[in-house]
Amino acid sequence: MSQIKIIEIKEGIFEQNNQTAQELRNRLKEDKTLLINLMSSPGSGKTTTLVSTIEALKNDIRIGVMEADIDSDVDARSIDQTGARVVQLHTGGMCHLDAEMTRQGIEALDPSGLDLVILENVGNLVCPAEFDTGAHKNVMILSVPEGDDKPLKYPLMFSIVDLVLVNKIDAADFFDFDLDLFRRRLAKINPEIGVIPISAKTGQGMTPWFDWLKQQVHKL
Amino acid sequence: MIMHELSIMLEVVRRVEAVAKANGSPKVKTIVLQIGEAASVIPRFIEDCYDAAIHQTTLEETKLEIEIIPAMGRCLDCRQVHHLRDSQGICPTCRSKQFEMLSGREFQIKQIAVEDHYESDQNH
Ligand SMILES: Nc1nc2c(ncn2[C@@H]2O[C@H](COP(=O)(O)OP(=O)(O)O)[C@@H](O)[C@H]2O)c(=O)[nH]1
Ligand SMILES: [Mg+2]
Ligand SMILES: [Zn+2]
Repeated sequence: MSQIKIIEIKEGIFEQNNQTAQELRNRLKEDKTLLINLMSSPGSGKTTTLVSTIEALKNDIRIGVMEADIDSDVDARSIDQTGARVVQLHTGGMCHLDAEMTRQGIEALDPSGLDLVILENVGNLVCPAEFDTGAHKNVMILSVPEGDDKPLKYPLMFSIVDLVLVNKIDAADFFDFDLDLFRRRLAKINPEIGVIPISAKTGQGMTPWFDWLKQQVHKL
Repeated sequence: MIMHELSIMLEVVRRVEAVAKANGSPKVKTIVLQIGEAASVIPRFIEDCYDAAIHQTTLEETKLEIEIIPAMGRCLDCRQVHHLRDSQGICPTCRSKQFEMLSGREFQIKQIAVEDHYESDQNH
């Protein structure tokens, strides 16, 4: 006769992930490699921003990239052309990366000698917000065409990031994105957050972002 | 959004499989999840993607049970505890909108029910 036995687990769904993330974060800190998790909707300009960032900083900081774009290596190729160390992560159609997948990506990349690793997360404003990847800093890109009301629609994402890059400001004349209104909406959700308006395409406004990155690498 | 719940359920499946393995790999009959009314996942979506999440895993015959935890708030002005779904966040006693959350954001694996083969093993 088989009986039924109850095994109590009583554990938050994200606890295991949070623990793996914390271990990864500590290890990378010991190795003096800063991990940045870069998130946005598809097409906001993650890859374009990465490419121009690597071009601008490659003589100052040794940068590696982990690409998690779903089922494509287009992004990894554009990064590869900058000469930076890059790995393509295969997320198998998942809508986010968790800490274990990030850890495996780091192994594959081999972070030794790198000052900075940037993770281009899956294009999505919902799911990546819920999974700690083990990054030291979380950065998101919101592009001008997406609108200034996004903090209202995706409060969790805006509450977990340290910095928002408002991209495509070269196209500001064609859209009704109100930067002041955006800042006010954001401040309600996350008063600590930094905002840097940029154009990854023209290079406008990129210097404060480069300075922020250098400062974070330095601080680690 | 379903994709979101699916990837979360894959996480649940992984975790339950690990717990089962650590307990001698018994057959898992039931998984019990607790989801707060104010959690970021929707129980119906969790149920909808459950079959896909257990597909081709050791949990293929495992049933899912979900316990809903009510979202309760305590009024910061008069200390009245109210059910946020019914009160819409407004204190029924003093109409204050200020409250502290007491429960409702939970999202956890409460327990699993497994087959216990202890006696039959002794007979063999
Ligand atoms: N006008 C304008 N277009 C941009 C800018 N940054 C990126 N794009 C364009 O937006 C599209 C998506 O960019 P991409 O970097 O691939 O976005 P990702 O999906 O977030 O990686 C491409 O066609 C880019 O050329 C920008 O600052 N201004
Ligand atoms: Mg990209
Ligand atoms: Zn009250």
